[in-house]
Amino acid sequence: MAHGTGLPIEISGLTKRFGEVTAVDDLSFVVQPGEVTGFLGPNGAGKTTTLRCLLGLVAPSAGSATIGGRPYAELSQPLQTVGSVLESSSFHPGRSALRHLEVLALAAGIPRSRAADVLGLVGLAEFGERRVGGYSLGMRQRLGLAAALLGDPGVLILDEPSNGLDPAGIAWLRGFLRTLAAEGRTVLVSSHVLTEVQQTVDRVVVLARGRLIREGTLAELEAGPSVVDVSTPSPDALAAALHGEGLDVETRASAVRVTGATAAEVGHLAFVAGIELHALTDRAEDLEKVFLQLTTDEGSVA
Amino acid sequence: MAGSTTGSTTGSMTGSMTGLVRAEFLKLTSTRLWLGLLVGAVLLTALSAGFSAGFAGMDSGFGGTSPGLDTVEALRNVYGSSAFGGSYLFAAILGITAMTGEYRYQTITPTFLATPRRSPVVAAKFLANAVMGVLFGLAGALAALVTGAIVISIRGYGLGLDEPRVWSGLGLALLAVALWAMIGVGVGTLVRNQIAAIIGLILIVYLLEQLLVFGLIALDLDAVARLLPSMASSAMVQATTPITTLLSWWQGALVMLGYAGVFTGLGTALSVRRDVS
Repeated sequence: MAHGTGLPIEISGLTKRFGEVTAVDDLSFVVQPGEVTGFLGPNGAGKTTTLRCLLGLVAPSAGSATIGGRPYAELSQPLQTVGSVLESSSFHPGRSALRHLEVLALAAGIPRSRAADVLGLVGLAEFGERRVGGYSLGMRQRLGLAAALLGDPGVLILDEPSNGLDPAGIAWLRGFLRTLAAEGRTVLVSSHVLTEVQQTVDRVVVLARGRLIREGTLAELEAGPSVVDVSTPSPDALAAALHGEGLDVETRASAVRVTGATAAEVGHLAFVAGIELHALTDRAEDLEKVFLQLTTDEGSVA
Repeated sequence: MAGSTTGSTTGSMTGSMTGLVRAEFLKLTSTRLWLGLLVGAVLLTALSAGFSAGFAGMDSGFGGTSPGLDTVEALRNVYGSSAFGGSYLFAAILGITAMTGEYRYQTITPTFLATPRRSPVVAAKFLANAVMGVLFGLAGALAALVTGAIVISIRGYGLGLDEPRVWSGLGLALLAVALWAMIGVGVGTLVRNQIAAIIGLILIVYLLEQLLVFGLIALDLDAVARLLPSMASSAMVQATTPITTLLSWWQGALVMLGYAGVFTGLGTALSVRRDVS
């Protein structure tokens, strides 16, 4: 297997119960190489548990999670196949960044010199001998990413990588992930804030309460019913006219909210009916709202 | 940018036990804990050897006099027993932290990501700490030789360094310290909480085990008392004790290896397999 080759990630019927709590519930989805896939859901949705199952750290109660068709524990060269950055900052505060990476390199059969290389890749070259206890949160995130890149893997799994990064760091990470996907690698990035990954991801997998809510491209997620707010001195007349066209209308004093038509369509109908309008606003549903709606009201979309 | 052309990794090295042991050894030496413990071991050993040489041949407090510095037995106590007695707990504590430290600082996650099959990780810790235990024993031996020799010279006796049994005593001390380091790995593997594991070990060694030994001997169960870890290590480094007879040195070594193996095996089966979250 050539290094840097993207492999598909396949989650199939994955279930994980912690005592009475079902953290992940019969979850299935596939992540393809060459794309950045966003793994979205509010905190506590089961994202981290899913990723830990995928990485062999947590044993699933049912189902399977594989990389290129094999469970993580059966990969012959795990770090050379999959690089991952998990939520918790997993560093010994008294160990330098270089030694941390060298330990992993030795264990995984990667040349020790690669440790300095990946520190350079994430912009930490000059801080390699410093103990990680003195690192800022952003530097730790970069070090985590360096560890993930150590084996030049074809699959990258990142759990909330933007946490602790400043805006410049987030922009840098965005470009970095795009480059990795463009090289044909599989990139899976989890986040509880959609806008954080909106500009980075090609596809999204949305999770809530352990279950899959939506899977598809960003455009597919965006496509919701359009909503128009109208201000008029004769709301009842307008409501009647729009009802006649089979539109969903909500009236509040002098305001009317119309669902299922564009601003132009509503304006045209009002003009034809001879109704005076004071304002006509197209409320393009912002993506974050769609996301919130999806994840808080799972039953209606699942 | 991500260096897709730098994938110069070699398959033959992956997951090799040599690589794992080297990784574990680097973990031990890349933080300062081992150095602090080593300094503690050297100081305690020096003190212990100084006292042992200073009071040899005087009233032992058990109603008799201890062997004088003109006997090989006294010299073995000054050098070998002190080297062991001053170092072994420090080596055992370092052994405990091999596993508990990973959970404490959550480095267990990257460790198991690099080596998803967990038993080899524990085996590598076992071996790396055995090597570290030998190093602790060597440092202890050096400290015991230097301070012991100084006090013996002051008291006007011969140093006894031409005596083979002095050197065999030091060799057994090295082995016994290494075995305690391995027992430490076992204890830490079984009890994941670092503070609980360290305090537990100290309480058992300094209190519980002593009480057990006296209790068992009082009940005429000497054969059982001999199998307790500190009695087994006494068999390796001390050869005699005023209260009972001991195992032979190799029997003691095997008993200790047994403890290390059973603790580590149980820990691997019960604790290491659990979810890491």
